[in-house]
Order: sequence, then structure tokens, then C-alpha cells
Amino acid sequence: MKFPRITRRITMLLAASALLLGIPVAATANATAGTGWIRLAHLSPNTPAVDVYLYAFGNSTAEIVLHHVAYGTVSPYEIATAGDYSVAMRATGASPSSPPVLSTSVTIQAGHAYTVAGMGPESGLRLQVLNDELTTPAGKSLVRVIQASLKQQVVKFHCSCGGDIAPRASFASVSSYVPIPAGTWTMSAIASGSKASMPVSLVAGTVHTEVVLDGANGLEIANLVDAAGAGRPPAGGVRTGFGGTAPHGPGSPVPWLAVIGAGALIALTGGLRLRRHGLRRQLNTGV
Amino acid sequence: MMPIRRPAAIAFAAGLVVIVAGTAGLLLTRHSTPALRPVAAGVAALPAPTGPIVAPPQSAQPAQVASPVSLTIPLIGVKTQLQTLGLAAGGELQVPASTSVAGWYTGSPRPGAVGSAIIVGHIDSLTGPGVFYRLPQLRPGDRVYIRRADGSMVEFRVISVQTYPKDHFPTQTVYGPTPDAELRLITCGGAFDAATGHYLSNIVVYATQVS
Repeated sequence: MKFPRITRRITMLLAASALLLGIPVAATANATAGTGWIRLAHLSPNTPAVDVYLYAFGNSTAEIVLHHVAYGTVSPYEIATAGDYSVAMRATGASPSSPPVLSTSVTIQAGHAYTVAGMGPESGLRLQVLNDELTTPAGKSLVRVIQASLKQQVVKFHCSCGGDIAPRASFASVSSYVPIPAGTWTMSAIASGSKASMPVSLVAGTVHTEVVLDGANGLEIANLVDAAGAGRPPAGGVRTGFGGTAPHGPGSPVPWLAVIGAGALIALTGGLRLRRHGLRRQLNTGV
Repeated sequence: MMPIRRPAAIAFAAGLVVIVAGTAGLLLTRHSTPALRPVAAGVAALPAPTGPIVAPPQSAQPAQVASPVSLTIPLIGVKTQLQTLGLAAGGELQVPASTSVAGWYTGSPRPGAVGSAIIVGHIDSLTGPGVFYRLPQLRPGDRVYIRRADGSMVEFRVISVQTYPKDHFPTQTVYGPTPDAELRLITCGGAFDAATGHYLSNIVVYATQVS
């Protein structure tokens, strides 16, 4: 029984010294690394509004419910614990326990972002999981195009920065991300029967998705911000303390030892004089 | 004989007293104070700020938001103006000139816009607590409020509180882009290196805007 006790003591000692040194003992078990992001979108032009549900795998209670999501709607991102989820679409107002019209599974990885979008025509409606980029090349912005216009089956998506982001985007397609210099550019969706243009400000370090939609009067463009960060991230940590409340170790023993030494000297001097006195008195009294 | 004997006895006694006092002083200062920062008892909690709270930004056509001017964390009694911070010559983040005021890095998104807004404050000065002295006491779910120059207010929910050694600071995790409106509150922590005059770790509070 002695051995485990010693082991325990050593473990405690090590843990205590780790604490003293400021080393994270359990290696910060609950790191933010445990969450990702998800947003939901309805991009099927001739599909009526729907209710969209997000379930953690094996859990029948929805984490997120969006009611009456109409064509062209993209929700804000929500933080979700990393893991497996399913997304279900039901007709607006349908009972949450009714069988969904459509469902798909999505795995959320820590630190990653996803868009789950209802895509295609109503007759061929599908839920597509898109991996959303978060980081950009230094000093640039990333832009991709989702072609969600049913009326214009093929669209050219042009940027005044000097090129086509998607030269021939067919209905329900998603382009890859294209790096674009920061600045305000005119984005144009051009089809044989319709054209739409809008100015879009791109800040370095931001990720955008441009969605081409069927509007009331022809094509429309929706500019989505997928992610944003510091254009110039600082280097390293910060120096935000002077130690005024820091725990301090034991001070130097030298001053106290000096005091003891001085005391000893005084006592010794006094003691010696007393002793000499005593001797002299003994001599004087002739003992 | 008495006039000589008395001072000698006094000196002897005084010497003994000094020895006892010195030994007591030595023994009493030998054990170190606890290395963990004591939890401040009786934190003066502040009332949550009042007024309408702005909803998180939409993915589509996100609105421009105003600059942050003040920060309130009711649970730990923090109420501070926000000064603006840039980068120092070496590329590292500037810190507020005063230890009792926090600052917002102007190169990061504004609080309530998409992305991670970076706010920095001191844990202490040379003599006592700084504005973020109690930051490490925050726990997931705690609320943080930012008021902006146009009077609008945004509310954040703490997601996690992390401690990172400064020589292994995860720059990308802390300063990197996010797809939602988040906040990073940063201060110092861990062991204090008296030789350099700096703490060895940083404490980072991650928060997301409440919808």
C-alpha cells in the first residue's frame, strides 16, 4: 500500500509544480477547437417557403429551427459543437414530428464552417452541404458564386477587378473561391435575357459568396459575407501585466540572517562583558 | 560596579530578542504565498446595461456597424471606455496606456460585425489590479456588452476561457477570421517572470454575439 501512496504524492507534486509554472495541466481539454459553424439557406427558386431543422446525430430535439424560410434566405452562422448532424426540411407549418420532405447529414469539424442549402428546381430539390472557406491569402479577399437563377439557366459572373469569377455558371452550381484584391468592385451577373450589377466592397481577409437570384424584375445579386478577420493579424500574444498582483515566492533570507547575526553579535558582546565582570567580582571578593 | 554591569546585561538581553525576532521573521517568510491567483471575493457585480440590443449581422448584405466605445461585463464588475489600439513596430498588438482602461484593435472587425473583434486590457499594474483582473473568472454563458459610437449595444455570450503560454500563442485561433460576430478579450495570466517583468501566459475569453 506504500507504493501507490508515494505515486499519488509524486503525481500531486508534479501537478502542483505544473500549476506553479503555469503549464496547462490537462492541456486545455475544453479548447475552442471543439466547435464549428453552420448556416442554412433556401436557394431553390420555385420551391415554396419551408421550415428547416438542424438535429445533432441521434437527438430528436432540434438544435436550430428556422421557420418560414423563403427562396433567397440565408441564415446567420450558428456555433455548433463538432460532430454529426442532420438537416431536415419540412413544409412551412408542418408538425416537427412529421416525416421531412428532404434531409441530409453533415459532419461539422472543429474550426470549420458549412452552408447547407436547398438547391435545384422543386422537382429535383436537394440539400447540398458546402464547405465554406474561412482564411484568405494575405491581403486578399476570396469570392465564390452560387448560381440560383432558374429563369437564366447559364450566367456569366464578372468582376470589374479584371475577370470572370464564373464564366459559365449553370443553374444550381457553386464555383470555387477566387482570390481578389481588396477594393470596391462592380460585380455583374450576365445572362442572355437579363443582367444585374452591384458594387461590392472587399476588405482584405474577408470571404464572400455572391448568390445569383431570380428577382421580381430579372436577375439579382446577394452579397454574403462568409467570414472576416483582422486584415493584419498581430504577431504573438500581448503584454498586459506588470505583476502587481502576481503571486510572489519567498523573499531572500539574507536580511533575516543579517538580523540574526547582528543579534548574536550584540548578545555575545553583552555576554562577554557580563562574564568578564563576573570574573573580576569573584577576584575582588577574594573567592 | 553596577553602572558597567547593567548595560552589558541589557545588551545581552537585547541581542537575544533580536535573534528571536530575526529567526521568527525568517521562518514566517519561508513558505511561499499560494501560486494560484486568489479568487477575488465579493466582486461588485454591475447591473446589465439597459437599452435595445442589436441583432447579430446577417450573412446577406451585412450592415456597417459603428466603432465600439465602451465595454461592460456585469458579473466581474468591469465597466470601461475603449481606447483604440494599433500594431507596434514589431507587429505585435499595442496595449492600452492605462492599466485601468481596455482597448479595441482597429485592425480587427468592429464588435457586432462578422469576424472576431479583439479587445485587450491589463490584468494588473505594478501595484494592484488592472481592468481585466477578474477576466479569468468568466465562465461559458456569461454575458459581455459593448456600446458603440451610435449608441447601439451588442450582447455577447462567453463560449470558452483559455490560457496559452506566450511562446506558444495560437495566433490563427485567436486573431483568425470567423463567420459569425465574435469577441476576443485578452489579458495576461499564468506565472509572472520577475526577471523580465512579464507574465508567461495570455488568457483569452472567446465570446459570440447573442441572437
